[in-house]
Amino acid sequence: MKKLIPFLFLGLAVAGLMLLLNACGDSSDSAPSPQTGTGGSMARFAITGNTLYIVSKESLEVYDINDGQNPTKTVTKNLGVGIETIFPYQNKLFIGSNDAMYIYDNSKPNAPELTSKYTHVVSCDPVVVQGQYAYVTLRAGTNCRPAGSFSSLDVVDISDPSNPRMVGSQRMDSPYGLGVSGNKLFVCEGDRGFRMMDITDPKVPIEKQFFQDVPAYDVIVRSNQLIVTGKGGLFQYKYDDSDSLQYLSKIPVL
Amino acid sequence: MKRILRASCLALLMLSCYPRESEPFVGNEKFNGTGYRPVYKNPEEISKIEVQAAQALKTPGKIYTYDRYLFINEVGKGIHIVDNSDAKKPENLSFVSILGNYDIAVKDNWLYADNFSNLLVIDIADPKAPKVTKSIPNVIPVHDYPPLTGIYFECADFKKGVVVDWEKVDMEQQPKCYR
Repeated sequence: MKKLIPFLFLGLAVAGLMLLLNACGDSSDSAPSPQTGTGGSMARFAITGNTLYIVSKESLEVYDINDGQNPTKTVTKNLGVGIETIFPYQNKLFIGSNDAMYIYDNSKPNAPELTSKYTHVVSCDPVVVQGQYAYVTLRAGTNCRPAGSFSSLDVVDISDPSNPRMVGSQRMDSPYGLGVSGNKLFVCEGDRGFRMMDITDPKVPIEKQFFQDVPAYDVIVRSNQLIVTGKGGLFQYKYDDSDSLQYLSKIPVL
Repeated sequence: MKRILRASCLALLMLSCYPRESEPFVGNEKFNGTGYRPVYKNPEEISKIEVQAAQALKTPGKIYTYDRYLFINEVGKGIHIVDNSDAKKPENLSFVSILGNYDIAVKDNWLYADNFSNLLVIDIADPKAPKVTKSIPNVIPVHDYPPLTGIYFECADFKKGVVVDWEKVDMEQQPKCYR
């Protein structure tokens, strides 16, 4: 038995190393991975690895940017009308439109394939994803959703990407962009401000705070840092596991 | 027999409640006094791109972060480049004036931006002095028809310029084009 102990440790060390390596490189397998940035949920442009995705109002345009200076078109995928946003997550692209969320598989980055189309009522709707859940905001408004309907935040289970299903929905005021990281979900509510929600149970976002003095249109969340833009300018905050935000700075609108 | 009848009534009833995805047009929706009109721009005006000194935000749109930089879209007008090394003191570096710009993305030192239907490639190795190195036409298609169906619109006339957008307006007469 004693002889086995060193092997056990070795095994653990190897397992740990694998985990570490995995955590760093799940997006690409080529050695020098390109450095790319992060956009908000309202974006029509998205880059993963060496591929640039652009959604026009009716199509998904795919460009190879291995040679960064010379983007080369690889394919156009025609979608329905009213395409609004694109959000890449792992080997999937989540495309928000006026009447649906499209899921494309981009395991082959230059030739994405439609996995499914999740249809909901007519609205404007960016989408963000974490783990097995997609968060979609549906905004009622003149151009987006017919009068009489209301705005909402929907949680969609995408553990089976070919069969997304809604597992929760709650009312919102006039949601725009949203951002997710760890157990926090931030939802922009246009001129009305933005909400900080707890998603410790990812199916059930629970509102913790509603910051009504910062008009919010789009948001970027990463490593405990929050960037919000809106009519009043660009605001930056830091946050931790507690439910408070620490103000860092503001670039005002003049 | 009765049971079948009852079941089919129930089924019909349920069907009648089911929300329809869209109105059933047959290609000739009645004209209701509104239609879409092309927005034209002069191609020279579109291709005029300038790197300017830092400017204050007016109507900030989408945002993008890359390395220590922040890119803030000025809706339809261009991109603010901000050094965000210290998030407590972001420093506005420059402004790239681009008409028809709403979106941005960055890989390595290449910034991609829309300029109406063109895709621009901008070298940001020196973010204080970005350089436009390429403009690829017709990347983000704007068609000679609005991106909607079941609507009337003024037919595009390319002699008037490049169609960059479509706006919904009241129209006295039913326009010729329909989609």
